[in-house]
Amino acid sequence: MMAPFFKYGMFGDQTSLVVAFLIGIGFGFFLERAGFGSARKLVSQFYLNDLAVFKVMFTAIVTAMLGVTYLSWVGWLDLSLVYLVPTYLLPQMVGGLILGVGFVVGGYCPGTSVAATATGRVDGLLYLLGIFAGMFAFAELFPLLKGFYLAGAGEEQTIPAAFGLPYGVVVFAVVLMAIGGFYGAGLLERKFAAKVVE
Amino acid sequence: MVRWLSTLTLNQKLAIVAIVLGVVALAAEPYPGGRVTLDARELALVVSQEADHVEAPELAAWIIESRADYRLVDLRTEAEFARYHIPTAVSIPMSGLMDAGLGRQEKIVLYSEGGIHSAQAWMLLKAQGYRSVYMLKGGLDEWNDQVVFPVVADNPTAVERARDERRRSMSVFFGGQPRSAAAVAAGAAGTPGFATPLTPAMPQVAAPSSPSGAAAKPAARKKKEGC
Repeated sequence: MMAPFFKYGMFGDQTSLVVAFLIGIGFGFFLERAGFGSARKLVSQFYLNDLAVFKVMFTAIVTAMLGVTYLSWVGWLDLSLVYLVPTYLLPQMVGGLILGVGFVVGGYCPGTSVAATATGRVDGLLYLLGIFAGMFAFAELFPLLKGFYLAGAGEEQTIPAAFGLPYGVVVFAVVLMAIGGFYGAGLLERKFAAKVVE
Repeated sequence: MVRWLSTLTLNQKLAIVAIVLGVVALAAEPYPGGRVTLDARELALVVSQEADHVEAPELAAWIIESRADYRLVDLRTEAEFARYHIPTAVSIPMSGLMDAGLGRQEKIVLYSEGGIHSAQAWMLLKAQGYRSVYMLKGGLDEWNDQVVFPVVADNPTAVERARDERRRSMSVFFGGQPRSAAAVAAGAAGTPGFATPLTPAMPQVAAPSSPSGAAAKPAARKKKEGC
């Protein structure tokens, strides 16, 4: 048996929805357990006194990256079948900035707002309503935005392919980046936590 | 060594594990590239379990649902394709199979008149490293037999009635008509549907993917993003 199971047709659309539901519940559970159901916790990363969000997310990235690398290396996962979001460089940079501004102002990102709503936080619910309002506005304006939305090649690009680097080198570099990032995050937290106390 | 380990915090231990895994991963080559190894035993298993098949009614249901996560490939000549083809199919004659720009990661469903050409094309594609290739079982013959001109019972039981209702609506969707079981039995080889060459009208089906191919990739799939 070889993954990805959905692409190999080992289960159909309906089963995949059940699996997606279970994964979503698990995702929300761990967001909540990490304290990400609280806007204060999330926003404090922008004040540099609690970088838990950065650390949790980067840990998840490194864990998943190493898992995917080794699973495909031993032949349990066919990496060429794993879905990649097509790259539209400029639109995605602008989209990322909009999401970042929304994160600072609203105190949540989309996933954490759902987790916050599930635990009964009113600000999470309001944020969620904002997401739906934004989705509605985006869909209504889509004919105007379509040109920009699809600007760029729209290919599934990867860092190893784009820069001609061996896959393993990129993996190692990301691990080093993570370790360096965690160390730097610790320094920042100590520095700015002191200021908060003053 | 043990004492040194015990002085480390959990985070430091995890960091060491990550670095070790990262160093080993330097040698990793997860994309096999152009090299393809065919596992004959695995292929034989796939064939014997018929896991490489898509049945005609199954494919019909996919088309009706406008599923877009696969590419339907007609292997016959272009003239035959022009005369009749399964809705949403793209024409890629056998001779042009390797230059058609099919993606190795795409889900590909092949069909030909019977089953032989599609089986041969299936093997060719498998040998070239295409991962998820399927054949329409029985080719166009079974498609016509089971989907466009399905057999319905003359005096259906309750169970058969429901089944025949499905067959009837499927048949109408694809521009055909059901055949009665009695007529099929009486006519033996010369069944009404098959006495004349089957040229069902091409029904208007909202194609989930443009035949040009570029849009046939599962780009319409919802984005899955974290956070």
